[in-house]
Amino acid sequence: MTEFQTINVEPLSPVIGAEVRGVDLSAPIGQQTFQELHDALMTHLVLFFRDQDMTLEQHKDFGRLFGELHVHPAAPGPAGHPEVINVHADENSSWVVGETWHSDVTCDDEPPTGSILHIHEVPASGGDTMYANMYRAYEALSEPIRDMLDGLTAVHDSEHTLTVRYGEDGRFRDPDVRYPNAVHPVVRTHPVTGRKALYVNSSYTTAINGLSKKESDALLDMLFRHIATPEFHCRFRWQPKSVAFWDNRAAQHKAVWDYYPATRSGYRVTVKGDRPF
Amino acid sequence: MTYETIEVEPVTPVIGAEISGVDISKPLGNQTYQEIHDALMTHQVIFFRDQDMTLDEHKEFGRLFGELHIHPTAKAPEGHPEIITIHADEKSKVVAGMKWHSDVSCDLEPPMGSILHLHTIPDSGGDTMFASGYAAYEALSDPVKELVSGLKAWNESAHVHRDRFGASGKLRDGDDSYPSSLHPIVRTHPVTGRKALFVNENFTTRIDGLKKTESDAILKMLYDHIATPEFHCRFRWGEKSVAFWDNRCAQHRTVWDYYPQVRHGFRVTIAGDKPF
Repeated sequence: MTEFQTINVEPLSPVIGAEVRGVDLSAPIGQQTFQELHDALMTHLVLFFRDQDMTLEQHKDFGRLFGELHVHPAAPGPAGHPEVINVHADENSSWVVGETWHSDVTCDDEPPTGSILHIHEVPASGGDTMYANMYRAYEALSEPIRDMLDGLTAVHDSEHTLTVRYGEDGRFRDPDVRYPNAVHPVVRTHPVTGRKALYVNSSYTTAINGLSKKESDALLDMLFRHIATPEFHCRFRWQPKSVAFWDNRAAQHKAVWDYYPATRSGYRVTVKGDRPF
Repeated sequence: MTYETIEVEPVTPVIGAEISGVDISKPLGNQTYQEIHDALMTHQVIFFRDQDMTLDEHKEFGRLFGELHIHPTAKAPEGHPEIITIHADEKSKVVAGMKWHSDVSCDLEPPMGSILHLHTIPDSGGDTMFASGYAAYEALSDPVKELVSGLKAWNESAHVHRDRFGASGKLRDGDDSYPSSLHPIVRTHPVTGRKALFVNENFTTRIDGLKKTESDAILKMLYDHIATPEFHCRFRWGEKSVAFWDNRCAQHRTVWDYYPQVRHGFRVTIAGDKPF
């Protein structure tokens, strides 16, 4: 296990997730602290921070330490901050973002590296987020299945997901394309750790290329069930001002909407990524 | 609900609450007993932290809620047949309860509740997940509710216990068969009067009166449904934590993500009635 000198890192499970203490994300971050946060993220796939006061500008500045910021193709955000997404649910909500297991915006050719969610208002209880380790999901498959998946690609489409959500009200980055789609390897190699991770998700992945529809449906159904195995998960309980920072290349997540009609509200900044290989 | 002798903090709006302000190793006053019972009825599983309890005190606490149940096969510490040892370590090849289940639903009168006290826990991991059978039932569509409300299902144990304890697993009552029972798929909780889904992946094998293909499809759908995170809470144990769940309306599943570490404790199980 990595030794940390400037931060305190406490795993939430042996598989995924760690709570990080001893750092104020709104203040400038020294080289070593940055490196330790990055190492912790590579090891634990998702980091949690408590009691963080951050303005939208500070939130974006923290995100920029890890790369350029991503602008979502459709999700609405606060005025003047195209790089920030509103994450909000209340008594008027008929759906919430991210109720199925997913990695963020995999319909993009270059899906985001990571996402940083800062929640300001939480229900009295409920509204947890669950995270799943996709290295572990890949490694737990049998060898014949791994061998087959290693050579395959899949279609990640957003129209079915995003049209329903945003209709004509989305902010479209590209008015011609509107809802993007992309083809990605079913198993991706993490560009930093070099480890292989399962990279299909139930929000965006619609078909495996080169298989018949029946075969593709059966395999995707099996893989989506496999990803839902609790041994690959942690479940994070939010408090006001908690922050979660996850690596979309190696982790999936799912929002638990068990708190209707209570309000849960915050902001997400998303860090751009590379083309999966 | 207001409580005067204990504090009750819900873990989710659907299921689970942490109780503080009570030492359950000591005799409980009437009001405290009533409030703990009320909290269990409301939240279906309640959690206590930092409880020092001997095996005898553990049994005493359990007896407040009913007669203690003796498991047909599981290992018990010497001299305490009403206690089940829960243990996993680097030699474990299986751990009990990795599928969603209600305890011993193969019995004709399955236990009302179970009280688990963990003494040794891994650095992290080894959580237990709980699912609300009420929430699961209520979220079904009307036609499916009507269908399952009229049906019964077989809850069997031979496939479960033979795997774990071997064909030679000695049954305490000397009988040579593993129990199996026919229970309603939707049971009415005898205290709250609420309806709860009462089939589980571990013990329920088939729905009575349906063809095998129909039964398999409906059970698979119901098991997937029970696995919906919106019906769950996930409890992180501390050393000496206690979980007390109501098997009549809650299911649970242990998470074995900590191999080769040790997780160890004791369970006391309270006898129950025939489901209706």
